[in-house]
This record gives sequence, C-alpha cells and structure tokens, in this order.
Amino acid sequence: MNSSRTSRVVALGATALLTVGLAACTPAADDGGGGGGDDSKSLQWELTTKTDAPSGDIDSFSFALYAEPYSLDYAYAFDYPDNQVLANVCESLLLLNPDFTLTPGLAESFEQPDDMTWVYNLREGVTFHDGTPLTAADAVASMSRHINPEVGSSWFSAYQNVASIEQTGDLQVTVHMTTPDSQFNLGMGGSAGVIESAATLAAAGADYGNSTGGVNCTGPFSLSEWKSGESITLTRYDDYWNKDKAAKSGEVKFVFMSDSNARVNALKSGDVDGSWMLPIEAVDQLRASGKGDVLFGPGTAVSQLVISNLDGPLGDVRVRKALMLALDREGVLQAAARGVGEVTDVHTTKSVWGMASDADRKAAFEDITHYDQNLEEAKKLIAEAGVEGEEITFVTAPIGNDFAVISQAAAAAAQSIGLKMKIESVSPGAYTALFSDPSAREGVDMFYTVWYLSSPDALEMYSVLRTGDFSNYGNWSNPEFDETVNKAVTTMDPAERGALTAKAQQIANAELPWLPLYEGPISLFMGERITGVQPSMMFLYFPWAAQLGAR
Amino acid sequence: MKTARRVAGKLAGLLLTLFLASLLVFFSRFVVPGDPISFLLRGRKPSPEAVAEITAQYGLDLPPWQQYINWLLGLLQGDFGRSLQYRQDVSVVIGERLPVTLTLVAMAGLIIAVVGLISGAIAALNHGKPLDRSILIFLTVLGAIPSFVGSIVLIAVFAVQLGWFPTFGSGEGFWDRIYHLILPSIALGIVFIVLVGKVTRSAMVEQLGREHVEVATSRGIASGTVLRRHVLRNALMPILTVSGVLVAGLMVASTIVEAAFGLAGIGSLLVQSVDRLDFPVVQAIVLLVVTAFVVMNAIVDILEPWVDPRSAAGAGAR
Repeated sequence: MNSSRTSRVVALGATALLTVGLAACTPAADDGGGGGGDDSKSLQWELTTKTDAPSGDIDSFSFALYAEPYSLDYAYAFDYPDNQVLANVCESLLLLNPDFTLTPGLAESFEQPDDMTWVYNLREGVTFHDGTPLTAADAVASMSRHINPEVGSSWFSAYQNVASIEQTGDLQVTVHMTTPDSQFNLGMGGSAGVIESAATLAAAGADYGNSTGGVNCTGPFSLSEWKSGESITLTRYDDYWNKDKAAKSGEVKFVFMSDSNARVNALKSGDVDGSWMLPIEAVDQLRASGKGDVLFGPGTAVSQLVISNLDGPLGDVRVRKALMLALDREGVLQAAARGVGEVTDVHTTKSVWGMASDADRKAAFEDITHYDQNLEEAKKLIAEAGVEGEEITFVTAPIGNDFAVISQAAAAAAQSIGLKMKIESVSPGAYTALFSDPSAREGVDMFYTVWYLSSPDALEMYSVLRTGDFSNYGNWSNPEFDETVNKAVTTMDPAERGALTAKAQQIANAELPWLPLYEGPISLFMGERITGVQPSMMFLYFPWAAQLGAR
Repeated sequence: MKTARRVAGKLAGLLLTLFLASLLVFFSRFVVPGDPISFLLRGRKPSPEAVAEITAQYGLDLPPWQQYINWLLGLLQGDFGRSLQYRQDVSVVIGERLPVTLTLVAMAGLIIAVVGLISGAIAALNHGKPLDRSILIFLTVLGAIPSFVGSIVLIAVFAVQLGWFPTFGSGEGFWDRIYHLILPSIALGIVFIVLVGKVTRSAMVEQLGREHVEVATSRGIASGTVLRRHVLRNALMPILTVSGVLVAGLMVASTIVEAAFGLAGIGSLLVQSVDRLDFPVVQAIVLLVVTAFVVMNAIVDILEPWVDPRSAAGAGAR
C-alpha cells in the first residue's frame, strides 16, 4: 500500500480491464452460441479509423453494454461500461481524440510556468446541462474530490503528486505539484480531468453519479434516465458549446446485456444498433446477419502473462525467456482471438507512441529482442538455469475462451521445456482480487490479463513496473529501469520523454517482468441505420456517440 | 381458539426460522474468500487513507457480530444497507428490480398452474388410457428441458427468426411488460409444469378411486359436481404443498432466464452481486427468497385445515 507514496506514477488507468464483467468483453468471451462456421479459421479483419459521415440527424439509436455501469461518478468510472457512457455526458479539461492525440477540452489552453505548476484556462460560455455556467470553482470542486480520502477516487493515482488545487481567476485553475510530473497533464484527458458542477456535487452527496443521483455535466448528451439494471438513456444537449461536435442523434439508449448470446441476438435481429467489444466467436454470425458492420479500431491493449512471483523459478530471467521462446504465440492468437491481432514482444502498442520521434519508436519496437518460438534455445536456457522439473502455478478463471486457451498454451509451453505447470482455476471474483490484494497472489506464479492504457503515452505502462508500484505484481526491480522511468516522468518535453520511454521498453523487453503475447484491436458493431463513428480505444474518453447519425 | 393458537404457533416458528436464516445468511459471507474492499478497487491504485475511509463508510472495520447487529437493526427499519457496487441503498437497487421478477414468476406460475392442472386432470380422467400415457410422456419431455436451453431455443425461433417477440428487456408499462415477459415466463415455467401435472394426476387418480367418490357417482350425482366437490377439493392439498416448493424454485431458476433475456430482475442481480462480492445485496436477496419460501409454506400449513378438514381432525386427535 505504501507503494502509492513512493512511486510517481500517474494514470495507471486501466488495469482493471481485467476485471469483472469482463466475462463478456475480452476479445473472446466464452459460450458464444457457436453456429458460425469453422472456429479455427482466421477472421478477416483490418483496422478502420473512420466511417462514412452521417447523411443527417437521427432521432435515436441504441447500444448494448456487456454490464451495467458501476457508477457515472467520474471519480469511480473506471471500467468499459462506465467510461463509454460517461465519455458522452461529461467532459474533461483536455480531450483524448480517437487518433490518441490530446487537444483542448473544457480548458481552452494550459500553461506550465514551471515544472511544479499547471495552469488551466477554462473556456468561456460553457454551460452545464442544468443551464448554469462553468466556472473555475466547479473545476476546483471536481478535481479536489480525487484527493479527498472520503471519496476514495479510482483516479487517485493521477493526482498522487498534487499538492494543491486552487482557483486563480474566474476561469482559471492552478495545480501545484509536490514533484514534477509529466503524466498529470496527460491524465486530464480522461475521467481524472472531468469537470462537474460544484452545486450538483454538493446537492447529490453520496448519491452523486448513481442511478438516482445522476450527473450534471457539459457534454453533448445529458443523462435523462437510468433504469437500474436495464438501460441508460441520454438526450442531446441543445445548448452544447461545441457546435462542431454537437450530437447528431436526439437520443442514445444504452441497454445492459450481460449474456453474450443475448447481446449477439439483439444485434443480429436489429433490436439494438450497436455494441463495442464483441465476442469474437460471434463475428461471423454478425457479419452474416446483414444488419450492420463489424469494425476493428486501434487499441492500446496487450494480452500478457503477469509474472507475480519472482521467488520461484520465474525469478531467473533465463526461465522467463525460455517460457517466452517455448510459447507458440501465433497459435495462441489464432486459438484465443481467431487471429484478430498481432503477436508482440513488448508491453505497449504503437498507438500510444504518437508523441515520440520516429527514431525512438523504431528503437522501442525494432531494436529489441524478438522471441520467435525456439524450443532448442528455450531448453538450453532452462538447463543453464538448472530448474528442470520445477513447478509453476498458473491461476486462471472461467471468464472467456482466451483465458482457457492461454492457460493451456502456457502449460504446454512449460511442459515442452521440462517445467511443470499447475493450472488453478478460481472464480472470477477471486481472479479479480489478484490485481488488488497481495494476499490473493500468494503462491501464484503467473496469470493472464489484457492490459490497456488510458493515456496517450506509453510511459503509463512502464510506470507501473517500477519497484514498489501497486501494480508491479511480481515485485520486479531493476534500478536502471526505475531511474529511466522516473526521469521520463519528470521530463515535460514529449520527444525527450519518448527516448527515455523507448529505453524503458527495451529494458522490459529484455527482462520480461511480464510476458507480452499479442495486441488486439477494439471491436465494434455498427448497425445499418447509423454511421459516423471513428472506431478507437478512445471511445472510453471521447464523445463518440455524438458522431453517430443516420446512414 | 384452537385455530388461533395454531396460527400463532406457526407464526412463532416462522419468525424463528427467519432469525436462524438471517444468522446463516449474514455470517456465511465471512467464509467466502476475498475482501469486498480490495475487490471494489478492481486493481485501481487507491490512497491508503481512502481505503481506510471506505472500509469505515461501509462499517467493514467493525467486528462481525457488531456488523450483524447493525445489519439486523437496519433490516427491522427497512434499511438493507448500501450496495458496494452501485453505491446506492440496497432497498433501491432491489426495489427497482423486484417487480420484474415478481411479474415473471407470477406469469410462469400461471402457465404452470393452467397447463399443469389441465394436463394432469385430463390424464387422471383418462387413467391408464393412451391419452394418459401421451400426456405423461409429454410432461416428462418438458421437464427435461433446462431453462437455459428453453431460453436459447425460444429466442432463436420466436425472437430472432420469426421476430414475433423482443429478444431482450422487460418493457415499459403493463401490457408491454406482459408482452416482453411471455417468452421468458415460458422458458421459466416449462420445467415445473411436469411437477404440477404429475402431482395433479396422481392426487386425482387417488381420489377418483376412493369409496366416497364411487358412492357419489353411483348415487347419480352429476359427474361435474363430483369432480368439483369430492375429487378436486381433496386433491388440492398435495398440489398446494408442491406450490410452496415451486415459488422458491421459480425464483432461483429465474436467475438463468433473466440473464438469457437480459431482464433486470433480482435473479440476474444476485448472480452479478455474488460475482462482485456485493454482500449487502446478496444477503438481502437471499433473505428475501428464504422469506418468500418460508412464508409460502406457512400459508399452506395454515390453509390446510380449511382445504382439507381431515388433516385438522387428524391433528386434533393426536
């Protein structure tokens, strides 16, 4: 727990992808209803970043969520269902665009008078959904919640180096840091940077953001109804300040469908117009239904094996490398995600390297060790390490087809090089606890996760692998790595930071604190009535639903 | 007097059962591995102060027995605590979903009663004939269809293929809700029809073979009257007893059907809440189902002497 004080990470975002409702969400949810053709065949796929512009406005459309949001309180919105709805209702100081760039949002501009200070100048003429104007007081109240222990914000890590937040003008907020932190500002494009009306926060109290308390923000849609357990309806906000990004639909209805068959059926029958994150097994059926398009957009997620115990055989880097070399990752990608994605040797996707120079990007993705399957080499490493016959415990859960495939593949790989692997299957709840409860990780050597970033900077990934960090599950420690990452965090210049991050990526690639398997795109079904969305992982933070209009 | 004492005894038994159930329901949570707070964090990095603060907010820092007392005192005032996952009062969370489940169970109950009673009665009146056997086979086949299979088939055929019914949702307003719940209630009821059908059949067969029925028939009393007064009335008790079990069974089975049809009922809520270690919600729902079951059985018990005077006489003689 003390980790959060020593480390300087920001915006760890994501981690939680892993979790919960997951069930139906990862690229390969189980059951799937079978039906469609040969499951082992690769799916045809390509990245789509743009769809045809709408021919005009539409009255309303509906989208399916794999689970009900926990909360629409931006301080707790930390998972796919919460964020993909909230992104259309509440706005942040900065805007994370579908191409992973960060542009002005509610803050028209920001300055950094010195390394320890961030100044945000709010836009004039912005109103909340109840008609009241946006002021600096609202920003101070909204941002201060993240550092209030009574709130227990999920986005606390973005604010961990914040000393104070104060109003320095009618429309100006100044944030003082305790240490230089480049990641703070990058976090202001996500939920950590959302601004809510101070009056609403005070009035709603503990019910703020739940199905009775609701929210009152500045986005293109306002929350009009939350039928607990069933649906959330958003209505176009007519006084929205940004005419270019105004909603093209009068209404959006999000329906909660935890059963993946039910979700696929609703899409196939045209009852629901779209959904993000499709069960991979259903793609053929959805395509065959003729009710819309299956699209894949750039993501930030990498499927990886988290090494959670370095006291066992996996403490030796040669063993980690051997396991990596023994894994048939192409085969895993095929079986777990039907080939949708790409095998990778590093922990981040190129999509989050936009701010780095070409040379740094090349260094980060090419001047690295490639772990193509090589059993001879792997066996040699195991012999060198002298760990033949030793046992590794792999914990998995009955969450999706990918979980099953990957645990089996890991066991096969271990066996092929003379290690023993025990696969332990736990409940989804117990699996989730691995990510937050150190006692749940006792006796666990490794587990699988799909880790995504919610900041446009690859540094977010590497900051969680520093010594002592909350999410450094195996307590991996490398002084050179720590030093590199710490320096990058305090480096404000994106190009300079890129070079340092590339070095961190190279170290992680050589040391393998986690074993990267493959990266995958984000999937989307867009029904035949609608068009205009830019498919991208940033649907979690960008008001994507406002772009959708009549086809 | 005797009746009043009997009813009071039943009520005391009911309260005792509920009290024991509340102990079991509450303390079973401490046997489940996992800490609700660390689960709530879902891998997020909290500040240590925040973790302590949240733990205190939900009263999880108190010793278990004190948590139980607080919970029980809350229950008596209609306060079921606060849901960890929804950050909302449990009574609100459940209150919003209960009507869907109750309507679903009621509709399924109606289907079960009508189809079960009628098929059972027809089978009994044709005892030993081919029609009787056909009905038995038909009921057995229905009883072998698990709810999830029923759901998948019904959705595939009537919602996706034919498009007659919606694929999901519980509808708005009375009629729309009924319409939305037709397929789910069939999927839910189908397994239980066999139970009511078979009990009805055997109870009626037994009654039909009784002396007083034969006497009544031989006296030339209209067969409809005989059926109503002598056969059905006496056959009612076993059927009523079965329905107590049915209610609990339906509520439990509704979890599967609700998930398949995307219905926001307490069944799907229960599954979700178990998965997310949302103990306050789990405890409230389990207690609710237990209460429904216990109350249902108590009602059957209390009604028994009116339905079947012989049982009262028998009880008195003992």
